[in-house]
Amino acid sequence: MSADLLQAVADVGKGKGTRSLLRVVILCLIAGAAIASRLFSVIRFESIIHEFDPWFNFRATKYLVANGFYNFWDWFDDRTWHPLGRVTGGTLYPGLMVTSGVIYHALRALNIPVDIRNICVLLAPAFSGLTAFASYLLTNEMTTTPSAGLLAAIFMGIAPGYISRSVAGSYDNEAIAIFLLVFTFYLWIKALKQGSMLWGAMCALFYGYMVASWGGYAFITCLLPLHSFVLICMGRYSTRLYVAYTTWYALGTLASMQIPFVGFLPVKTSEHMPALGIFGFLQLLGFLDYVRSAIPGRQFQTFLWLFAGGIFGVGLGGLVLATSLGFIAPWSGRFYSLWDTGYAKIHIPIIASVSEHQPTAWPAFFFDLNMLIWLFPAGVYLCFQQLADEHVFIVVYALFGSYFAGVMVRLMLTLTPVVCVAAAMAMSSLFDTYLVAKAPKPEDHVADEASEGAAKKAAKTGLKSTSRPVVGVYSYFAKGTIVSGLTLYLLLFVLHCTWVTSNAYSSPSVVLASKMPDGSQHIIDDYREAYQWLRQNTADDAKIMSWWDYGYQIGGMADRPTLVDNNTWNNTHIATVGKAMSSREEVSYPIMRQHEVDYVLVVFGGLLGYSGDDINKFLWMVRIAEGIWPDEVKERDFFTPRGEYRVDGEASEAMKNSLMYKMSYYNYNMLFPPGQAQDRVRGVRLPEVGPTLSTLDEAFTSENWIIRIFKVKDLDRFGRDHGQAMAFERGIKKKAPRKKGPRTLRVD
Amino acid sequence: MRSLLSFAVLVLATVVSAISTTGDRLLVVLDDAAEQAGYSKFLGDLKSRGFKLSFETPKSESLSLFHLGERAYDHVILFPSKLKGLGPKLTGQLLLQFLNADGNILVALGSDTAASTALVSLLTELDIHLPAERTGLVVDHFNYDSVSAPDKHDVLLLPPPGSHRPGVKDIFSAGAPSDQVIAFARGVGATLGAGELLTPLLRAPSTAYSYDPSTQAETVDDPFAAGEQLSLISTFQSRTSARFTLVGSAELLADKWFDTEVQKPGAAKAVKTFNREFAKRVAGWTFQEIGVLRVNWIEHHLNEVGGSNETNPKIYRIKNEVTYAISVSEYAWDAWTAFSVPPNDVFQLEFSMLSPFHRLTLQPDAAHSTPDAAAFTASFKLPDQHGIFNFKINYKRPFFTNVEEKNTVSVRHMAHDEWPRSFVISGAWPWIAGIGATVAGWLGFCALWMYSAPVSGKKTQ
Repeated sequence: MSADLLQAVADVGKGKGTRSLLRVVILCLIAGAAIASRLFSVIRFESIIHEFDPWFNFRATKYLVANGFYNFWDWFDDRTWHPLGRVTGGTLYPGLMVTSGVIYHALRALNIPVDIRNICVLLAPAFSGLTAFASYLLTNEMTTTPSAGLLAAIFMGIAPGYISRSVAGSYDNEAIAIFLLVFTFYLWIKALKQGSMLWGAMCALFYGYMVASWGGYAFITCLLPLHSFVLICMGRYSTRLYVAYTTWYALGTLASMQIPFVGFLPVKTSEHMPALGIFGFLQLLGFLDYVRSAIPGRQFQTFLWLFAGGIFGVGLGGLVLATSLGFIAPWSGRFYSLWDTGYAKIHIPIIASVSEHQPTAWPAFFFDLNMLIWLFPAGVYLCFQQLADEHVFIVVYALFGSYFAGVMVRLMLTLTPVVCVAAAMAMSSLFDTYLVAKAPKPEDHVADEASEGAAKKAAKTGLKSTSRPVVGVYSYFAKGTIVSGLTLYLLLFVLHCTWVTSNAYSSPSVVLASKMPDGSQHIIDDYREAYQWLRQNTADDAKIMSWWDYGYQIGGMADRPTLVDNNTWNNTHIATVGKAMSSREEVSYPIMRQHEVDYVLVVFGGLLGYSGDDINKFLWMVRIAEGIWPDEVKERDFFTPRGEYRVDGEASEAMKNSLMYKMSYYNYNMLFPPGQAQDRVRGVRLPEVGPTLSTLDEAFTSENWIIRIFKVKDLDRFGRDHGQAMAFERGIKKKAPRKKGPRTLRVD
Repeated sequence: MRSLLSFAVLVLATVVSAISTTGDRLLVVLDDAAEQAGYSKFLGDLKSRGFKLSFETPKSESLSLFHLGERAYDHVILFPSKLKGLGPKLTGQLLLQFLNADGNILVALGSDTAASTALVSLLTELDIHLPAERTGLVVDHFNYDSVSAPDKHDVLLLPPPGSHRPGVKDIFSAGAPSDQVIAFARGVGATLGAGELLTPLLRAPSTAYSYDPSTQAETVDDPFAAGEQLSLISTFQSRTSARFTLVGSAELLADKWFDTEVQKPGAAKAVKTFNREFAKRVAGWTFQEIGVLRVNWIEHHLNEVGGSNETNPKIYRIKNEVTYAISVSEYAWDAWTAFSVPPNDVFQLEFSMLSPFHRLTLQPDAAHSTPDAAAFTASFKLPDQHGIFNFKINYKRPFFTNVEEKNTVSVRHMAHDEWPRSFVISGAWPWIAGIGATVAGWLGFCALWMYSAPVSGKKTQ
C-alpha cells in the first residue's frame, strides 16, 4: 500500500505537465522569497524612501504622475541648482519613473487606488522577483539541467549583492535595471543561438528600456560587442552572429538615441565606439564570406590580408583623427577611474568623494556573495568544458564583471548575476552527479567508450580530464555526505543572506536606529525633524545651502530649493558651495548673498557620535573648492603643522575660522560644563570658548544636534559689517578713527 | 453705498495723513520746555503741516521711544542738550533701534554745548565723526556775516547747496533766488566716512575750517577738518530708507535767523536769509515728506504674437520677447506725483542671474502713466540661457528713498516640440530625401522579390 503511494508520488514528478507546474510553483515561491526578504526595512521602520538618490526619483515620479508625461519630458526644475536650474527632463533616465507611473495608472484603471509612494517603495522588490525569473531563463540557455535554472533563480533572488540595491524603499535606477540587464542578456543569447531577427529585435527593445533606466547600460554596450569579437577571434563567425548583432545594434542604437540624456552619445563618445566598430567589422566579415564563395582560395588569401589590413588601418586612423578633431569625445574621467583606481582622487575629487566609487575591499565579495564566490570559478570552468557560443558569453562576462567589481564597490551589482548563473551551474552539476539514487552500471560506459573511442582520438583537444568519460559515484555514503554537505551550505547561504539583508542593507539611512540600554529599539529621526521644520517654518522659495549629499533629501522631504544636489553635473557650483563652507565668514557671506541663500544646513554628529557628518566630509569640500580656486582655498591650511586633521584647541586657524567649523560647534559648549565640551565622533575635547558667528543666526537644531540650520542675516541696515553691529548691540563702542596718520577723505 | 462710505473714509484718511508718508507723531526733545519759544516758527511750520508734536525733556519719566515693542513716535527731533549723556531713555542703542524700526531722527547741535555721549556713539555707528571734544566751531574768514559776527567770523553765509552731483535732483534749494544765503551760526562741523548711505547735505565752503575755541583760542595748527570735507548738515539714509539728519547749527532752525538780514563782507546790501524755507525742506526730507519714491505696481508679460497673455508669469522660455513695466510715484509734501527721472540720470532695469545679462534703460510709458504715477517700460529678448533670473530695479540716489525691487522668474529651455520641424529646415532636405529613397527602394525590392516567381531549375537547364 505504502509502496504504491510512494510510486504514485514519484510518478507525479515524472509527467511533463506536472514538472512544468512544479517549476512554475517553485519559481513563484522563489519570487515570493525574493520579495519577502526585501521587506525587512518596511517592517523594521516604515514604508519610506531610502537614502539620497531615491528621494530625487521619488520626487520626479510624483511630478510625472501629477503633470503628465510631456511636462515631465520637458521638465525644467527651478528648485534645484539655484540659480542655474536643471533641465531635469533631459538629464535623467526616465525608465524608473515611467515604470512607476505606468503601474500607478494601470492600478488606477483597475480601480485600485494605491499611493504613489507605496508603488515606489515596493517597486524594487517586485522587480527582484522578475530578475529571479530572468536569471532562470538565462541559465536554462547555458545548460540542459533544469535544476540549474531554479538554483540560479533562488541565488539571484536572495544574494545580498543584489539586495543591497533593491530593498523596499531603495527606489533607485538599479531597482529595475538589473532585471533589464539579465533579461537583455537572455534575449541576446536567444538571438545568437537561433540567429533570429525577432529575438534580436526583442533584445534591442529591452536594451532600449535599459538605456532609459540606468547609466550602467554602457556595460551591455561594451559586453555584447566584446562577446562577438571573442567569438570572431575564435573563428566562430556565423550568419547567426551577424543577424543577431546587426539587428541588436541598429535597432538598439536607434532606441537608445530616443532618450534625451543619451541623445547623440552613441555615435559621439569613445565608450560606444566598440559597438560601432564591431558592427562595421561584421559587415566586412559578411562581405568577405561572400567573396570567399565567389573567388578561388589562393587569391582569396591575399585579398583577405590586403583588404582586412587596409580596412583596419583606415578605421583606426579615422577613429584617432575623429577623436583628436573632437568629433568623438575622449574617454570620460569616470571611465579612466575604472582602469586606474587612483585617477579620480587626483583629477576628479568629486567622483572620489563618493564612497561607492571606492575600490572594493576583499571581504565585501564574501559578504555580498557568500559561498557563491567560490562556486563561481567552478561554474566558469564548467563553461569552458562545453564552450558553445553562450558559454563564451558567460566567460567574458565573468572576466569583466570580476574586474569592475574589484575596482568599484557599486559594480558588485553587475557581477552578481553572472556569479549566480555560474554558481548555479556548478551546484546543479554537483547535484546531478551525487543526487542520483541508482548506481551507474560500468558496462554502459564501456560500450560508450568503445563507440566514441575513434572520435576521441581524432579530436585530442581540450583538457585531459574532459576527454575521460563520466562514470559516476557508487557509494551511497559518499553521495549522502556530499549531498547533505551541499544542503548544509545552501541552508547556511540562506541564513547568511537573511542576516546580511536584515543587518546591513535594510536601514533607510534617513532614519537611524539605535539600541536602548534595555535592548529596545530607539529611532533617531533628526533628519525628518529638520526637514519638516524647513517645510513648515520657511518661505516656500527659501534657498537652502548644504553640502550636495543632502540636496535630494531637502528637495524631496523639505520641498525647498537647493544650491547643489546629488546630481553633480556642475562641479564649479559645488566648488562654490565648498568654498563658502571652507572660507572665513567675510568671504562666505558675499557668496551666499550672491546666490540668494536664505538658510545653511549642516550635519553635525559630535553629540551623538554619528560619524557621517559634515566635519568628516569637510576635507572633500576643501579639495573640491581647491580644484577651482587653488589660490584661495588650500587643503594644507586645514591641517596642523604636524599634518593632523584636528578640531580641538589645536586646530589650524583656517579650520577654526571656516564657516563649517563655526556652524558645527556654534553654542556646542553650552551643553556641557565649562571646559568639558566633548566631540564624540572625533573623540576630542573642544576649547572652552566656542566659535562666534556674525553673519548667520542659529535657526534650528534638531533633537540630537545632527542637523543644524542657520539663517543668513540680511545686510546691516546701517552699512556696518555684522561683527561691528553685534559688538554695538553688546554695548561695545566703536573706536573713533585715530587722529594721527593720514586722513581718509570722502570723495563725492 | 458701503463702498462709497469706505471710499469717503479712505479719502478722509489720506487728507488727515497727508503730512508724511510714515506718520505724524513727532517727539521734540528739549532740555527745558521754555527753549521751544526760540524755535516757535520752525515748530509752528511743522505743526501747520499736520505733525502732532509732543515735547519731552531727556530726564522725563514718561519719555519712551518704544511702547510695547512698537515705535511710540514716528519722528524725533533732538535739540542741543547740556547733559553729558541723555539718560537711560535715549541711549545710543535705543536711538539706533528707533532708526532700525524705520523711525526718523533730526539732530541739531550747537557749538556752545558739547554733543552728548549717547549721540556721539550713535553718530560713530553711522560713520559720522565729531571732533574729539564732542564740539567745535566752524569759522570762515571770507564768508561770514559782517552784521552779527564781524570779529568772530562764526556766522557763515552759504549759498543754497544746489544739486549734490549731476543727475541728482536738487530738492533743497530748487526755486530759491540766487542771491539768497543760508546763515549757519555758531555750528559744529562733522566729517563723514566713505559709506554710500551718508550724504553731506550742506558742505562748508573751501575756506572754512573747524577748531576748538576752548583749547585752540590762540593758534589753530591742527584743525579738525577744513573745506569741503567739513559737512555742516549731514544726512544718513538706512537701507530701509529710515532717515537721519545732523544739523550742525541749531540756530539755523531758530526764529532768530529766519527773518534777519545778513550781509557778506564787501557785499552791497544786506539780504534776507533763506533759513526758514531751507529748514522746512531739511525737516521735510528727514520726516519723509519729500524725496520719497513709491513703486505702485510692477508688471511683466510675454510680448509675442500668439503668445500667452498672462500677467507676471512665473516662467518664460529662453529667447522670449518680454515687456517689463513699473509705475513709480514721488511724494511732494502732501500728495503723490508722477516721478520724473532727473536730467542726466537714467532709471535702469537689470535682468540678472548671478550677474546681469541685460542692463536696460527704462523709458517713460505715457500710455500707462497717470498724474500721480509715472510708468516706465522696457522690452527685450531673454538671453539664451536657462535658469532662475531676477528682474531687478536697483535705483539708489542721494536724497531719494531706495528703490530695490526683485521679481524672480524662471527661464526654461526649449521644450521638445518647440523646435522647427525637420521639413522646415532646408538643410534637412537631403536627409529626408535619403530616408524617402531608402523606404522606396526597400518597398520596391520587396515587391520585386515577392512578385517575381523563381525560375524553375529544370527550364533553365
